[in-house]
Amino acid sequence: MADTDTIELVKDIDVDKYKYGFTTDIESELAPKGLNESIVRFISEKKREPEWMLEWRLGAYRRWVEMTEPTWARVHYPKIDFQDLHYYAAPKSMAAPKSLDEIDPKLLETYAKLGIPLKEQEILAGVRRQGESSELDSEGGGETAGRVAIDAVFDSVSVVTTFKDELAKAGVIFCSMSEAVREHPELVQKYLGSVVPQGDNFYAALNSAVFSDGSFVYVPPNTRCPMELSTYFRINERNTGQFERTLIIADRGAYVSYLEGCTAPTRDENQLHAAVVELIALEDAEIKYSTVQNWYPGDKEGKGGVYNFVTKRGDCRGRNAKISWTQVETGSAITWKYPSCILRGDNSRGEFYSIAISNGRQQVDSGTKMIHLGKNTSSRIISKGIAAGRSDNTYRGLVTAHRKATNARNFTQCDSLLIGDKCGAHTVPYIEAKTSTAQFEHEATTSKISDDQLFYCMSRGLSEEEAVALIVNGFVRDVLQQLPMEFMAETQKLIGISLEGSVG
Amino acid sequence: MNIAVNLTPAELALGGMMLPHARMEDWRWTNLRTLIDRPYPPGGKIAVAAKEIARLRDTSPLARMPAARLVFVNGAFSQGESRFPASGEVGIRPGLPRLSASDEPVASLNANFATDGLTLTIRSGANIDTPIELLFLATDADPRTIATRVAVDIGAGASATLIETFAGEGSYLANSAVSIALGEGARLDRVTLERQAPGAIHLADRDVTLQGRAVLRDFTLTAGAKLNRQNARYTLAGEHADARIAGAYLLGGRQHADTRLVVRHAKPHCTSREIFKCVMDDHARGIFQGKVIVDPGAQKTDGKQSSHALLLSETAEFDAKPELEIFADDVVCGHGATSGDLDHNHLFYLRSRGIPEREAKAMLVAAFVEEAFETIGNDHIRAALGEIATGWLASRGGAS
Repeated sequence: MADTDTIELVKDIDVDKYKYGFTTDIESELAPKGLNESIVRFISEKKREPEWMLEWRLGAYRRWVEMTEPTWARVHYPKIDFQDLHYYAAPKSMAAPKSLDEIDPKLLETYAKLGIPLKEQEILAGVRRQGESSELDSEGGGETAGRVAIDAVFDSVSVVTTFKDELAKAGVIFCSMSEAVREHPELVQKYLGSVVPQGDNFYAALNSAVFSDGSFVYVPPNTRCPMELSTYFRINERNTGQFERTLIIADRGAYVSYLEGCTAPTRDENQLHAAVVELIALEDAEIKYSTVQNWYPGDKEGKGGVYNFVTKRGDCRGRNAKISWTQVETGSAITWKYPSCILRGDNSRGEFYSIAISNGRQQVDSGTKMIHLGKNTSSRIISKGIAAGRSDNTYRGLVTAHRKATNARNFTQCDSLLIGDKCGAHTVPYIEAKTSTAQFEHEATTSKISDDQLFYCMSRGLSEEEAVALIVNGFVRDVLQQLPMEFMAETQKLIGISLEGSVG
Repeated sequence: MNIAVNLTPAELALGGMMLPHARMEDWRWTNLRTLIDRPYPPGGKIAVAAKEIARLRDTSPLARMPAARLVFVNGAFSQGESRFPASGEVGIRPGLPRLSASDEPVASLNANFATDGLTLTIRSGANIDTPIELLFLATDADPRTIATRVAVDIGAGASATLIETFAGEGSYLANSAVSIALGEGARLDRVTLERQAPGAIHLADRDVTLQGRAVLRDFTLTAGAKLNRQNARYTLAGEHADARIAGAYLLGGRQHADTRLVVRHAKPHCTSREIFKCVMDDHARGIFQGKVIVDPGAQKTDGKQSSHALLLSETAEFDAKPELEIFADDVVCGHGATSGDLDHNHLFYLRSRGIPEREAKAMLVAAFVEEAFETIGNDHIRAALGEIATGWLASRGGAS
């Protein structure tokens, strides 16, 4: 039982031991601290980008300079000195790897520690997915099913992308963003910034100016991506910001499932992470995007930790398009993140499933936006917030139906669970119905684990911690079920770890 | 922030006071800088014939109800028009009561321009059976700002029924600030009836504090004014206080109504319920912003809030922001918000039983708002307000 796994983990690991808190000693190439036009040029040059890309970055930079940091979120942190950061860090030894053999073994070790054996992936068949068989396959052939293609990003640079050749057979492009800029400029130019424009918000503008790397996915028409795609992000270098940019395009009738995971070493100072993710689903296409965010949350007193300021947005551009966001947020000192769906195409559908767990001094301000523009669009929001320790956990969301969005439907459920009396749980939903044919339902509850439930479990021989873990796993079940199989079990463990020390 | 901002004519008429705008979080859906598109200079005294006042007063559905009546005409307390409560346990002191300092725009409007007011006190332990009505009338005159301020103090263990009625004719900006304190174990049944003139603007601020075991039943019917904004803050400041706050919107034309409600649980073991039913027709826009705050230590809080909107026309709009802000763990809190049009199955059911569409719709709308009206404890008042609702529905003229 996965529940017992969680209990074991809660028991075994002592408080505030972040499992991924090691650093890797690799010589890095850093850009000088600070941000100005020449840094933007430096980054662009490092990545051997074409002129149009540089211009795009500079445009974003000029806008960013004019902008001020947003302060509306319920998060508190000392002012960030944007001139005291490195905006580019790359492991020195890996200027241009051709294959896994050329990659610094230390890097591979790092990823192995993180639980992503890149090398094994290439050699062995990888993990077989339970319950799903070769129905998944298209041109890729039966043997590709159940494997996960991974793009690993280390500080600012994409280290390696696995299974590239096999994906190419299906016509799927899965590569690092830098490579896409060089190899597929027509696609990048067409779609980059079309969902999150350069000047969208302060952090999106910053990202547009200095984004280092990220993943690029293009699934051609009527293709079901033969395997799960995944990116693993890791911040390693000190005083760096990580600014990745992900762009996923599912062409007409295509399907892709994508998962990202994140970790960072334990450091006293705060690290900045400002990513932008853009999803584009054309007619009849479907994108499923899952995140397991486990950046370093800082220690018990709130020292250190990652500032996670992320802009994620999906655009259902064609009829019957579907975008589904699933997120498990357990890490980061501060999370500021609102994966959204623009439901532009008629009959399109957006989904948002979220588990946000905060402990210690973590602050989470997360939620979603469902913007109904097309007719007969529907959306569903299930958010489960769990606050423990001295943390603050806020759900902030917007559901809006445009005047022409006839028959828009939304169902929202936000549940918060409080563990301890020093934490806070907040719900800030915005609902805008501009047409009478829109049917919106919103429901939110806040409660603690009821004494009856605890008593019931404990009377059956579970300890208090075991009982809490069991109940919490039940509380988040609706969302867990949305995760790809491989990550469900892992996530249940993660939940256990995140809540350790919160009982008693 | 921006000093170089150009004041609007309305702002200049208010002595250069900057009106709230959409960049302010609490005002995101009600931008007074654009919605108040003409000046309403603070008004001086306006002479009004007694006959005129009587005519206006009698338009109120509550006029025939036996009640003590404290009448304000164009912002001035009129002792002559008022009928004072018979009970010696009710104290009435004319004059402006002190207002607690606030930078909230509606409250500061009142701080700057309130011309008259009164303080109402109910002695501890007194049971006042006859309702007390505060009647605020505005007569047809040049556009102007009318601001009044009332303080109510209900002693420990006392009980009373208080009505605030706003009515008028012509074009004016009515600003009202009311602060109410309920002592230990006090009980207040409170009803606000907003039927301002169709050309009027209604900006109200309300502050209610409940001590331990105090009980509040509060209902607001919002039906008049082209632009309506009501701030209401309720603080449950003693253990076992119990507040039930309800409201209904009946809006048509281009009416715009925005309620900003904050319920704060400052002490443990308190209960709060909010039920808002908003009906919008034509191009009307209804907004409900409700927030429940549970302070650290306010354990065993039971707080529930619900807001429901019924949009009768394609062009009506409803915006809601039901917030929870919770700092204690042993609580049961929740909110629900829905928005939609009439259920076509229900309509079909009624029509298939021979009920004409117009009546069927009226029945469904009446059923929709009913729950909120149930908060009114006094049968007379509930019936009178029910009549207003029925009249409103009938006047919808069977809009298809």
